[in-house]
Amino acid sequence: MSAEKPPSSGPLPDLRERFFSGGNPVAILPERSASVDELIRESFEKHLAPVFSKGMAVAAVGGFGRSELFPHSDIDILLLVDKASQDEKARDALSTFLRKGWDGGLRLSHSVHTVEECCQLHTGNLELSISLLDQRFLCGDSGLYQKLAVRLPKFIAAERQALIKGLVRQTRDRHEKFQNTVYHLEPNIKEAPGGLRDLHVIGWLAKLNDPARELPDWLSELAREIEFLYAIRCYLHFTAGRDQNVLQFDAQEEIVKQPFAGGPLPVEKWMRQYFLSARRIHRAARQAIDVTETAIPSGLFTQFREWRTRLSTSEISVSKERLLLRNPQSLESDPELALRVVRFTARHGLPPAADTERRIERALPAIETFFAAERPLWNHLREIFSLPHAMQALRILHDTGLLGAVMPEWRMIEGFVIRDFYHRYTVDEHTLIVAESLLELRNNKDAARRRFSELLTEVESVPLLVFAILLHDIGKSIDGPTHAQESARLGETIMQRIQMPEEERGFVRFLVEQHLVLSSIMNGRDLDEPSTAKDLAAKAGTVENLRYLALMTYADISGVNPTAMTPWRLDQLWRVYSIGMRELTRELDTDRIHAADGAPESDFLEGFPSRYLRTHDKDEIAAHLKLEEQARNGGAGVELVRRGGVWKLTVITLDRPRLFASIVGALSGFGMDIVKAEAFSNSKNEVLDSFTFADPGRTLELNPSEVDRLRSTVEKAAMGTLDVRQMLERRMRPATPKGAAERLRPSIYFDGEASLHATLVEVIAEDRIGLLYDFASVFAESGFNVEVVLIDTEAHKALDVFYLTRNGRKLTENEQFVLEDRLRAVCMA
Amino acid sequence: MKKIEAVIQPFKLEEVKEALKAIGVDGMTVSEVRGHGRQKGHKEVYRGQEYQVDLLPKVKVEMVVASARADEVVRAVAAAAKTGKIGDGKIFVYDVADAIRIRNDERGEAAL
Repeated sequence: MSAEKPPSSGPLPDLRERFFSGGNPVAILPERSASVDELIRESFEKHLAPVFSKGMAVAAVGGFGRSELFPHSDIDILLLVDKASQDEKARDALSTFLRKGWDGGLRLSHSVHTVEECCQLHTGNLELSISLLDQRFLCGDSGLYQKLAVRLPKFIAAERQALIKGLVRQTRDRHEKFQNTVYHLEPNIKEAPGGLRDLHVIGWLAKLNDPARELPDWLSELAREIEFLYAIRCYLHFTAGRDQNVLQFDAQEEIVKQPFAGGPLPVEKWMRQYFLSARRIHRAARQAIDVTETAIPSGLFTQFREWRTRLSTSEISVSKERLLLRNPQSLESDPELALRVVRFTARHGLPPAADTERRIERALPAIETFFAAERPLWNHLREIFSLPHAMQALRILHDTGLLGAVMPEWRMIEGFVIRDFYHRYTVDEHTLIVAESLLELRNNKDAARRRFSELLTEVESVPLLVFAILLHDIGKSIDGPTHAQESARLGETIMQRIQMPEEERGFVRFLVEQHLVLSSIMNGRDLDEPSTAKDLAAKAGTVENLRYLALMTYADISGVNPTAMTPWRLDQLWRVYSIGMRELTRELDTDRIHAADGAPESDFLEGFPSRYLRTHDKDEIAAHLKLEEQARNGGAGVELVRRGGVWKLTVITLDRPRLFASIVGALSGFGMDIVKAEAFSNSKNEVLDSFTFADPGRTLELNPSEVDRLRSTVEKAAMGTLDVRQMLERRMRPATPKGAAERLRPSIYFDGEASLHATLVEVIAEDRIGLLYDFASVFAESGFNVEVVLIDTEAHKALDVFYLTRNGRKLTENEQFVLEDRLRAVCMA
Repeated sequence: MKKIEAVIQPFKLEEVKEALKAIGVDGMTVSEVRGHGRQKGHKEVYRGQEYQVDLLPKVKVEMVVASARADEVVRAVAAAAKTGKIGDGKIFVYDVADAIRIRNDERGEAAL
């Protein structure tokens, strides 16, 4: 596309020249409208006036009515008649009038209506009523037009609510067609969110507004954005020679060379200006809709809304389903208030009122200054991301500019364009859609995605995953070795500033750095080749990590464009996850540490599964060495600490029959709820058992002396000097939480091939207190030795892996058969 | 003109594309397909549940080339897609009656 195309006919050449020499489009458009006014008046006098001396008036409507006629827009006119004419002479005259207009280069788009018709609500043709909001008289029977001028305002006042509702519905449908986002790489500047139509909607809503209510003057506030958008549309029309509204890649390349673009600029930079401008328009349109819509009363809905006002707090009040600040001035002195508003949205699904959004926007500089220092922002974000309406909250964080204010690095990808054929959105929008794709899995109804939605219930921290997604492409605007590394590097700075604990930082860094691993394996590796599974297992490190990576990859692909996650890719990704999962489970028993370099820790580590090194850092290994020393001196090394709301127990002792069952029994006897556990032994027959458990009755928290008692009980259980069974009998078993129908059907799976010497038993079941003890008791009573254990519990689902032996050999088929029955009975108890 | 249709392993797509590029073939249509030949399906196990995967994921690459180049293209695709194992895929060659470039109405090999 180039600026040198011949001008179209009609009153354009002069305007074109003025536009390309830097003329202000906002000034040019009314001039074009005025010249078209003249042409229509002349044509009317010549062709219609002789036939319609009265009984017909011509009014300009739509964009022409607003006197902002773009170079190749349709020229909308209303032919107002006092009655529908069947007269042949009249029809011929009208036909000549229209034909001559087209011959003269005017794309006339007309409709013929009586005053009566104009003042009726046509449910199937809202366009007529809306276009009349912008009408103005051009020529013809002024008396007839006067009738319209008198009746129209009364009609609009009477039908205000219906018109507003219709307009809002239309606007929402239109936004929906463009996935509710301004961030399309080739945007339609008229119809897409943030386009011209949104400006019109703001104008129409102002005209439909009850005159007694005062609205913010959004259009004056958007003067710069309006001029910017008008210039783009003029350019597209002039260069294409037609009503072209899609800002395609080739037009973007050319437009940046134009004086009005402020260039020459790199395309990506100019497009970012476009997106930021479109975002402001889109936001104003949404606010205008919100303000107007909430003013409309409606029966049942109103009652429900009134009920929701009960959710109000001392600082946030709920009115008409919207959040208002009781004391908006405090945003400046208490910048965290903005985040509490977003948290309220995340919890209840209620959005801030337009006024609240505007106040937050005005307070952004103060909020940014506050969060420029190290602050515990992560606490806010973690809570927001864990709540049911997290995605709605995330959108508000982004749309209000709050996300950029609390995390300025986010602005590096705001409106940032990566131009390729696959990505449809800018990097920030892609990131949000990735988060949305993930969070939508929580309410997934699609059978094909069920495997991934189940996987989401099996990860420990959804907030960490959402946060890793927010960071995963944040380094895309930086030139570096790979964007994953740049994102991880930038992410580390952010995570330190927002005071995320080191353990979580390391995990997020890992997810960001490795977020492309599964997709690259999916596209570039032979999944049937054993080395592929081994490489994947080495990169993922643990089954827990692999779950996170699989979900991240699922969401990342889904966020590329609406059709990117095909059923084919869904299957391929699941295959990659499955082979990695199988390999990591197999490795638990088969992949052991051989660290014979003579150091004391290598002596201790020798024979542990490799997983041990992937899940423990140097400090933890050092602490385990101390526990080993205690074990050598006293028979058992026991450490019990509270970390992040849960308790962690580590036990090191020499292996003996029923050991695992005894320790688990001691914890269960205290009413503790084991959520994670690992057990494995080294070459010296020393066992390392670690447990993460919750204390549902807050026994340890409220009775500090119980901590010591539990530690000593565990110690005795580990050394075999305590009869755990007796202790458990004294404790009442809690009532079964659910009926059989509601409970997860247990899945029990044996694999004799996973290891050379042990049998893998995998159990997925509904979790309950004491479940692990019951499993361990079954193993002990059956004479099975527990070689390796990996227990995880997420959302009441126990995900347990055991490697069992009997007298140093694998379980026979018959033993498996009997064991399966007994485990099933335990699961259903 | 010949139409060459290759059904290959997904992970070989990049190598095949590179090989075609190296001999100057840039135009192609790629689609994600499922199917099996003699390879048949196989059983997969996840959490104890076995399921039969009958149709295996494959990628179909289609291109139309001048007849004189067909052999060379087939050789390039075959060499790049080969692992030597069952499931490497197949290449089909068809005669093409005509080709039309819609933009300017060019016909025959000029349209390729």
